Amino acid sequence: MIAYLLNLGVFFCVNAILAVTLNLIIGYAGIFTMAHAVFFGIGAYTAAFVAMNFTSSLIVVTLAAMLAGGALSFLVALPALRVRDEYFVAASLGVQMLGVTIFSEWKAFTGGLGGVLNIPLPTIFGYEISTPTEFFILALSGLALVVLISRSLARGSFGRNLMAVRDSESAALALGKNVAVIKTLAIVLSSSLAAIAGTIYAYYLSFINVQSFTVDTSVLIMAMVIIGGAGTIYGPIVGAATLMLLPSALSYLWFLPKTEIGSIQQIIYGLAMVLLMIYRPGGMVSSGTKSAR
Amino acid sequence: MLLLQLFVNGIQVGILYALTAVGFSLIFGSTKIFHFAHGATFVIAAYIFQFIYAGLGLHWILAVIVAMMATVSFGLFLNRFVYVPIQRHEGSYFTIFVASFGSVIIVQNLIGIIFGRGFLVIDTPLSRGVEVVDNLLVSPLLGIALLCAVMIFGGLHLVMTRTHVGIALRALSESPELVRTFGLSARRLSVYAFALGSSLVVPAAIFTGATSGLNPTIGYHVMLISLISTIVGGVGSIWGAAIVGLMIGIAENLALWQFDSQWSEAVSFAILFLFIIFRPSGLFGRASVH
Amino acid sequence: MFDYLKNMSLKNLGLSLTVGIGLMSSSAAWSEELQIGAIFPLSGPNAIYGDIFTSAFKLAERHVKEDGLLDGDFSILYEDSQALPQQAVTAMNKMVNVQGLQYVLTAFTGQTKAISPIAKRSQTVIINGGAVGPDLAKLTDYLWNVIPLANTELHGLLPYIVKERGLKSFVLLYVDDPLGDGILDVLNSDLPPLGATLDKTFSVAPTTQQFSGIAASIRNIGPDVVFVASYGDQMIQIVKQLRENGVKAQLASYSAFSTPNLQTLPAAKGALYARQAVNIDSDDNLTTRYLKDYQEEYGKSPSVYATNYYNAVWLYVLLAHELQKQGKEVTGENLLAQRRAMDSFPLVGGTVTFDDTGVLLAPIQVMEIDGEAGKTLSVMSTNN
Repeated sequence: MIAYLLNLGVFFCVNAILAVTLNLIIGYAGIFTMAHAVFFGIGAYTAAFVAMNFTSSLIVVTLAAMLAGGALSFLVALPALRVRDEYFVAASLGVQMLGVTIFSEWKAFTGGLGGVLNIPLPTIFGYEISTPTEFFILALSGLALVVLISRSLARGSFGRNLMAVRDSESAALALGKNVAVIKTLAIVLSSSLAAIAGTIYAYYLSFINVQSFTVDTSVLIMAMVIIGGAGTIYGPIVGAATLMLLPSALSYLWFLPKTEIGSIQQIIYGLAMVLLMIYRPGGMVSSGTKSAR
Repeated sequence: MLLLQLFVNGIQVGILYALTAVGFSLIFGSTKIFHFAHGATFVIAAYIFQFIYAGLGLHWILAVIVAMMATVSFGLFLNRFVYVPIQRHEGSYFTIFVASFGSVIIVQNLIGIIFGRGFLVIDTPLSRGVEVVDNLLVSPLLGIALLCAVMIFGGLHLVMTRTHVGIALRALSESPELVRTFGLSARRLSVYAFALGSSLVVPAAIFTGATSGLNPTIGYHVMLISLISTIVGGVGSIWGAAIVGLMIGIAENLALWQFDSQWSEAVSFAILFLFIIFRPSGLFGRASVH
Repeated sequence: MFDYLKNMSLKNLGLSLTVGIGLMSSSAAWSEELQIGAIFPLSGPNAIYGDIFTSAFKLAERHVKEDGLLDGDFSILYEDSQALPQQAVTAMNKMVNVQGLQYVLTAFTGQTKAISPIAKRSQTVIINGGAVGPDLAKLTDYLWNVIPLANTELHGLLPYIVKERGLKSFVLLYVDDPLGDGILDVLNSDLPPLGATLDKTFSVAPTTQQFSGIAASIRNIGPDVVFVASYGDQMIQIVKQLRENGVKAQLASYSAFSTPNLQTLPAAKGALYARQAVNIDSDDNLTTRYLKDYQEEYGKSPSVYATNYYNAVWLYVLLAHELQKQGKEVTGENLLAQRRAMDSFPLVGGTVTFDDTGVLLAPIQVMEIDGEAGKTLSVMSTNN
């Protein structure tokens, strides 16, 4: 039982990291991206590649993954600097689909559709992390780190700058803020921190394939952020917990046909998204009224 | 020869893309609502048609009419009960988009539950290729789709230039403030936009079902093509969207001459990406992005 | 084994029961609750497969209880994975760590690969009856495959096509994943010695739905045979669109062509494929009862995949029965040892054996699609 809960815990932490980092872009910067799963994937594949070919040292691998995520985030940053709103959504959707195609085709790096198998265990200062408990501690530390960084950013002047840009870009410009730098920084940070989730995921499963990095994953993380509350620190974490517990909770409702649970679960969070947008756009954690613009 | 055949195939696919994109462009251009659920409208059209035509065995004209009623009701429903309430609050594109997105998820899964998640193919002998000239195969469906497209685009042109509603919609897409000044209700006009735009997907949905088949999750792909066509064509230009839709279909097929097919989708997105970076207003659109 | 049951007279039955009950009460190890697991996509795009597999194991569950071969309550616990790795890992975790299961049915290469580390670590048997990617053979000893892998099937099919039908030039249309790659490898290695050639390959994404362009290219080349390596619905689209776009070549594929939808597709008529030989005319009780009850319960005859999962359950029953007879606990480790100790297994459709890597060795049958049950053209036994 404990092992099962620890397993859920690891996945929760991974999803929470993704939600918190996505929130930096969506909630604070007001940049609505649908490509977050791509950076999850970049982190995971980079971690796997380094661990299998060079060293499985946790610190080295994580740094490599973060570097890759940060570097490739220009794919999202560039359109973000050029266009806003719907145009940007379209561009990010394009990046997501392109990412999936590359993950499926670039066999040398990603193993193509077959994925990467037999990823070794991570080592930190010579100690190998192998049991569920150790993995959970690792995941939890990752989450704590990401939350700490996000919190200090959000509450500091950087966060205020971000929200200024989000709420009115022209006003921010008029006040002398370097909008381009602010936006780019937010995106680079978000993408490199998301890569941490990828690292933990790759190590934990010791197998990754493109199925985990599709548009459905991007949508799920987005739902976590929105339902939990974009633009708040703990909203995404609440959202992650809620959406992860949902399938298990549903499986206890014995009257629901087992074959439809996946669909019903999706309908529930689709419905939650619609209703929340109508009545409480700030999500569960917010005060009830919030403008995202 | 091969290139010609690929070109002809591209036209067939392109017409379907154009028909779908035009509906979205109309809605988005005039109401500025990011109606992501347009993909769901497409799915509804195809499944309802198949249900009436193949499931109940009724005449195809009846099936088309019911499908149209279903899509129009869906579009109007979303507008009235989801978009308008949100707009009354604060209506940022973000909120509307998320709500629209949520609707897509609901619709896709409901259809999956009701009709099953497998592939849906609308069976008709019309999709079978017929040799027209030496080694050049064209299916009767292409001819029908072409005819349909001509009639629909022709009709649309008439509506947009000759009727009050059409002219008002074009005005709405160019300057919403002026429209209000003239006493026209943007809200009421958006009802027309949704009705018209949603009904336009029906022929494309039926033809797609007959040629390559579909499943409940095809909404994303449909939406992407419509998005690319609308943006690259230029927001506010319906014909821009149609032309780009056609070009995407042709490009995707011609690309097969040299590249493996898994890259064709990537090609379309690369085009979108380049336009967004270098010319966000698209080919024929108004230059207002920021 | 089932002749024994068939011929039991009432008196013998009474005697056996008494002895059985006596033995049961005298040994605690005999009154265990025997449960196995199944992780399938019950929702999402692959749910139709989940339905097929589930129909089979539910029937098996019923038959097992009817026959009373196992001492203790037998039941099958199942979870929905949507064929996705993360969900499958969570389900597997639950089954191993919470429910203590020792034997789990699985399908789909992606999820099977994801749960094989857990199977290996916890010494739990996972058994696949649907995926045929060649890379499944090397994952772990605890992964058993109740379905011959694609390369085995092709070893039986290709000689038939080249020698019996005299068709020499091939074109391959494949999904660029381990299965497709595996088939490509086999074609590249097997065709030249037979005097045939692989002229061109077309790789597609699993989500591709438009094949008119590829069909046009294929028409341009004009091969004798088009070999299709894809799955499920996409395969149906491929066959349909190839024919509609004027490709007249012989179509061939691996066992994926055995799905009911393709069997009845008019465009697929005349296509050749290989699959493990399932002798449905075999008159052993197991097979006849299976076919009869499946038809009664579901109103159609079972597909090969359903049969595989029925057999997966039955394999467990055979092994567990032996272990119980020997007074051993039914654990993954013991099941593996028992499987290795036994030579052959009477399952639905014939008696089969396993090779060292845990892959089924069954005779391979070459079939032609005729719109009904299919014509069996040749049967070859496997020595791989």
